[in-house]
Amino acid sequence: MTVSPIVVDYSRPIKGLFLQRPRIGTIHSVFKKAINIAFEETMLALLSDELPRLPNSVRLYSVVISKLLPNLEPGMEVCVGNDTFILSPCNFSFYLCGTPAWEPRPDVTAYDWDRETVALHTRLLAQSLANKQSQVGLVPLVEPLLLQKPIQATPLSELAMPKLQMLIQAAWHKNNAGIEEATRGLAGLGPGLTPSGDDVLGGFAAVISLLSSVLSRDSIPRSDVASIISTVAKPRTTKLSGVLLEHASRGEIAEQFGSLLLTLVLPAADFQTVREAADRALTFGASSGGDTLLGILLALRALEGEIY
Amino acid sequence: MVIRALLKRNTYYDSITLMLVAQAVKDLPGVDDIGALMATEANLELLRNANLTPTTFLDELQTPPVSDDLMIVVRASNDVYAEAALAAAEEKLASRGNRSSTSFSEEMPVRSLEIASKRDEKANLVVISVAGEHAWLEAEQALRYGMHVFLFSDNVPVEQEKRLKNLAVKKGLLLMGPDCGTAIINGIGLGFSNVVPRGSIGIVGASGTGMQQIISLIATAGMGISQAIGTGGRDLSETIGGIMMRHGLELLATDEQTKVIVLVSKPPAESVAREILAAAQITKPVIIVFLGADQKSFASRTGSVHMAKTLTEGAELAVTLAGGDQSRISGKHSLNKYDLSKEQAQLKPSQLYIRAIYSGGTLCDEAMILLSEQIGPIASNIPLQPEWTLAKGETFRGHTALDLGSDEFTRGRPHPMIDPTISLQYLAKAAEDPETAVIMLDIVLGFCAQQNPASVYSPAIIQAKEKAKVAGRTLPIIVSLCGTEGDPQRLSMQRTALEAAGAMVFESNEMAARAAALLVSGTINRA
Repeated sequence: MTVSPIVVDYSRPIKGLFLQRPRIGTIHSVFKKAINIAFEETMLALLSDELPRLPNSVRLYSVVISKLLPNLEPGMEVCVGNDTFILSPCNFSFYLCGTPAWEPRPDVTAYDWDRETVALHTRLLAQSLANKQSQVGLVPLVEPLLLQKPIQATPLSELAMPKLQMLIQAAWHKNNAGIEEATRGLAGLGPGLTPSGDDVLGGFAAVISLLSSVLSRDSIPRSDVASIISTVAKPRTTKLSGVLLEHASRGEIAEQFGSLLLTLVLPAADFQTVREAADRALTFGASSGGDTLLGILLALRALEGEIY
Repeated sequence: MVIRALLKRNTYYDSITLMLVAQAVKDLPGVDDIGALMATEANLELLRNANLTPTTFLDELQTPPVSDDLMIVVRASNDVYAEAALAAAEEKLASRGNRSSTSFSEEMPVRSLEIASKRDEKANLVVISVAGEHAWLEAEQALRYGMHVFLFSDNVPVEQEKRLKNLAVKKGLLLMGPDCGTAIINGIGLGFSNVVPRGSIGIVGASGTGMQQIISLIATAGMGISQAIGTGGRDLSETIGGIMMRHGLELLATDEQTKVIVLVSKPPAESVAREILAAAQITKPVIIVFLGADQKSFASRTGSVHMAKTLTEGAELAVTLAGGDQSRISGKHSLNKYDLSKEQAQLKPSQLYIRAIYSGGTLCDEAMILLSEQIGPIASNIPLQPEWTLAKGETFRGHTALDLGSDEFTRGRPHPMIDPTISLQYLAKAAEDPETAVIMLDIVLGFCAQQNPASVYSPAIIQAKEKAKVAGRTLPIIVSLCGTEGDPQRLSMQRTALEAAGAMVFESNEMAARAAALLVSGTINRA
């Protein structure tokens, strides 16, 4: 077996990109431990192995990333295909053959899910999120949405609040027009490269895609809700957000969030483990962790049935 | 107002970077508001709602902005300020650059213990002050990370407290709290604490202001504290069993710097007291202050332990046993500072009662214990006996001592040690009552406490005395002032200002209570 000496692992959905004939992409954005590469219809993330996996990531050893980054600029061309990644200006390449693939869709079918227990974890997680000292993006709305506390009015919260309420209601009632309207209001809303509204939608779509059939009180799956969110949001937001939402609608999520969802099968007495998983999820991105967690909690609450 | 904007095509920064830049620019002169967002449809609507739409700028663009463009919009009082703000934003973005930021996660504010522990791997103590009933979750996580915990939060279920304390002991850690107000660990004050030199006296306490009183008096004698470990007020209950006091005692017993140990608490459950006394039979001198406890009930079990009846006595014993000069503590001799017989002689026949207005629960308890021994029942919201409980709506009844730091007074407002508004209200009420013979107040200095309490109490004291004078009365006001010269408020400055306002100031709460009792008891016995 041949193993690329610099690739740690890759996410299963990006395998297709590597199997195609060679295509040109461009470096979209550069962070210290992450590089986003844009292709016409998707994006690839090269991550240091110090970071958790994303649904569109290839992780490289940190020493490789740290040597590569000083030479990169947005707009530089990259060639991917025939199982190979080539960055000619830096004389850098790698191939995936033999590298282990990681599955970003958590295997929820391997566990027994108990609605009551998940509902209890949801409430405790909502309280825990509300207790966090530093709240940015849409996280402050966890209190009015899930803890019956008053809203702190800001231009962002006033725009988002009715749309989030509509999203929850429409998801429960399988009201596709409501989902579309809520998504139109939330997609691309708020600060960040992946705006807060998108992160909430991503968490929401992922839970609906993965768990609606086992957790909804009426036991009816709602996968179409997740795909509507992705379809409506994609043209209204940043390219990176659109790609991540597409993954989320298929239940493909960042590693920390998959781990968090699987802890929800634990008994109520093990909430500490759930909470620790949520804290790890909060470290995702700059503000994306909190917003995605909010989306997850809203979806879990929506599956419990009528709330407003 | 003018609105100006700049657009950076295909430019990407994370939300924290944009937020920090926006915050910095918003603080510039002339800037009213700023938005720094990806130019999505929803964000353009958000800008509209915030009255930040750069209409002219958008009209002049040949290609409209798209979702992958970064838009920065400034509303400022004039063009000069607006342009300067945009230039500053651009400069700050360039200087921060995503690449120069450390990583996705390292740029973030600390939002969890996990991040905090990674940020500083040497940190080994967590201060927890979160609202609500889930504080124990944070505490458990901290203990599992191997960190000591100072748990300021209250409302932690007692069964969780017991479980957490057992976990802490198992891991050799401290769980100070819940509802722990005071500690000094390795010279660092936590919560409401005073600035004291490091020294050889170690304290474990289940009462915040009780510890502060002892610590402050020890500092007055020029001595210092090795460690002051808070346990939370329920630690010596039957349910908890004094887990943390015994653990703290064990730690101090083996601590090289600690030569003398003081344990302080309100009366413990009898079985717990027995266990504490048994555990305290060690080679180092141990002083126990169980405020209000029947000393006789422990007489057969004290062994080598020194029992002290009051906080001042505990401090005096500690100073002596540590080789210091206890006469430097302003104890009994401080009663001679003021002419109490003259004050008493000026009281009208209607002026019969003490009205004590406290912010420290333990200080209030100690005052009530001492006063009730000399002048009988003391009505209170935290009564020593059930029949002395103030009825609902009753402000004063005969001799009265109020703990304004208790839950019914602090719900939805700051503790009176931080914001003395409620204490001033009760001071005014007491001053208006013709039956009031003397007003007692406690003022606690140190970290977290009001920055300059004399500046708010002195005018109120002057006003209270003047109102009484207009009504044909004199009104003695006694202040129990707890603090040190090193505290941010400076003990001597506070004392001088309060005395200038006409108050009698005692650094020993015991002496403040004794002075008040003497004023109303009819007999002045000079100490």
